[in-house]
Amino acid sequence: MLLPRRKAELVKPLLPAAEWDRVQSYALNDAGFGTDPFGTNPDLLGFGYAIGYWMHRHYFRVVSAGHEHIPSLGAAVIAGNHSGVLPFDAAMLAVDVFRYTDPPRLMRFMVDYFVYKVPFLGVFFRSMGQIPGTRRNFDGLVHEGHVVGLFPEGAEALGKTAAHRYELQAFSHGHVELAARHRVPVVPFGLVGAEEQMTMIADLRPLARALRLPYFPVTTRFPWLGPLGLLPKPVRYFINYGEPIHVDPAALDSVDVRTREVERVRDAVADLIQRGLVQRREHTTGSV
Amino acid sequence: MAQSTKIPTLKAAALVNPMEGAMPGTLREGPRRVFVAGARRRVAIHLIERLLAAPEVDMVLGVDRGACPPALLGCDPERFVFATADLSKRRQVDNLFLLDRLRERPLDTVIHLAFQGNPRGYGVESHEFNVNSARHLLDASLRHGIEKYIFLSSDAVYKIGPRSDYKVREDGELNLDPDVHPILRDTIDAEFMCRAKMDRPDCEVMVVRPSGVFGGGVLSGVNLLFESTPPVLPVGFDPMINPTSKERLARDLLLAVFLHGKGVYNLAGVTVGPLSKFLEERGIRPIRVPGPALGLVNRMQRMLGMTRYHAGFHPKRLYFSLVLDDSRFDRIFRANAHTVHALARSPDPGA
Repeated sequence: MLLPRRKAELVKPLLPAAEWDRVQSYALNDAGFGTDPFGTNPDLLGFGYAIGYWMHRHYFRVVSAGHEHIPSLGAAVIAGNHSGVLPFDAAMLAVDVFRYTDPPRLMRFMVDYFVYKVPFLGVFFRSMGQIPGTRRNFDGLVHEGHVVGLFPEGAEALGKTAAHRYELQAFSHGHVELAARHRVPVVPFGLVGAEEQMTMIADLRPLARALRLPYFPVTTRFPWLGPLGLLPKPVRYFINYGEPIHVDPAALDSVDVRTREVERVRDAVADLIQRGLVQRREHTTGSV
Repeated sequence: MAQSTKIPTLKAAALVNPMEGAMPGTLREGPRRVFVAGARRRVAIHLIERLLAAPEVDMVLGVDRGACPPALLGCDPERFVFATADLSKRRQVDNLFLLDRLRERPLDTVIHLAFQGNPRGYGVESHEFNVNSARHLLDASLRHGIEKYIFLSSDAVYKIGPRSDYKVREDGELNLDPDVHPILRDTIDAEFMCRAKMDRPDCEVMVVRPSGVFGGGVLSGVNLLFESTPPVLPVGFDPMINPTSKERLARDLLLAVFLHGKGVYNLAGVTVGPLSKFLEERGIRPIRVPGPALGLVNRMQRMLGMTRYHAGFHPKRLYFSLVLDDSRFDRIFRANAHTVHALARSPDPGA
């Protein structure tokens, strides 16, 4: 095993006892060796959640609302905006959902393939329950009643430059199609704060292509400060979940319907981002 | 009157053939007479022993190059015959179906386990043997009225990589890369030959793709890796696998022999888990080396006789997960195991 249990125990002090108990109580569909069929490892889950919880509470100081819209049972798709150069937004979202749902729900993201080519990183992601974004993987997750996280803007949205902050990119149609096929609701979310954690100046596309990465960021601190430059600023995150959207099953048969449904999700996300921006303004000016 | 003596056309014969309507998963009628090609393989030996223990099996013909394996020497000569033949020779294959003992009651099932999979000794001769034996055995089976033909393929035919599905179904993408190891190319070619004949109404052609097979002396990638001293793995990778055992594979093949069904099926073990957990469970401590050094270390190990595992055979296997989804076989065959008298009282070794 790449990360022995004792290392997970090392980060245990980062979690309150009640949260540690919640991690231990997470019901895993054991496929034989303590992992579920997707490779989720409860020890590593505890390790990841402990670090994530600390960041959620003390580093990004996440303020979130609308958890009642996340189904406590059964499958759902959670879709929203993506930003921040490195996917700390996804990590905080997963921690937020796990922290504020009862029983705790592990959000499974459809992750870009390149992650699984990187030693240790791929195993770590898989052990945290995050799997490559293929249709069959999505089907499997929904079939087993999991909450699936999707960023319809794609990984490229992480590489938005500062000039395009809070501008939603075009949404892919996959999440609507999959939700319609499985008749599961789409819960939209808007996340504010991640855009400011790193200020991206440029995207070195030729280098990104050579390294087979979706983008290669040049920020105000990276690569000038080396790996330290990838550390995000401790900005406060605001996450808002919207009401579940039940996708019209006709989206499977008509491109027009599908486009309309995608726009519905996109509009909901845009509204939630605006709500988050207002919340942040009020928070900074002290009106709340 | 003239109508009653009319010779039926091929199409009409196909329409009235009782095989056409055989429901998958139902019991095949009558006693079985089974031809096992590649009888010296560990899996084959285990399968033959189980076949001979079943009262529904009338006779087993084991064929391979070389002498009869010692484990089968004590078998009842009335029910087990071992024949030495070169399956790559068309005439020799044909002759096997024309043995005197088969004149009254001919064979009805052929299991092709003779595919040579040793990457170490793979050359033109092995390639010729694999291609020709697959072709001649299938052709001869169809010519001699065999009702069921089973080809044991491999899970290595699937393309694996970072974008693999968490469970690979039978319709998963095949590794058609021209640079793959010749054994894989030949295996896929042999599968295609079988697939081309799958619509035959008179013969159920079945291809089974087992996940890695555990068992003493079994020549499967995962078993050879586990038998290495020590197994060498790449740093930072721990693929998910669901290997089966030779006992479970033999049981699955028995089900395939006794029950109706054709097409491509995955066969896998019950337990799904990371490779490291399977090693840990068996008390094996692997050594990990950086990925680029893996091939070199493996070559050195082979030179020193520390392993028979060939890292170049399926190079991505130690990096990316390959978990087979055998729910289709489960649904059609294992769910009907109770109908097979020989298996009704023996539990599934993997369950």
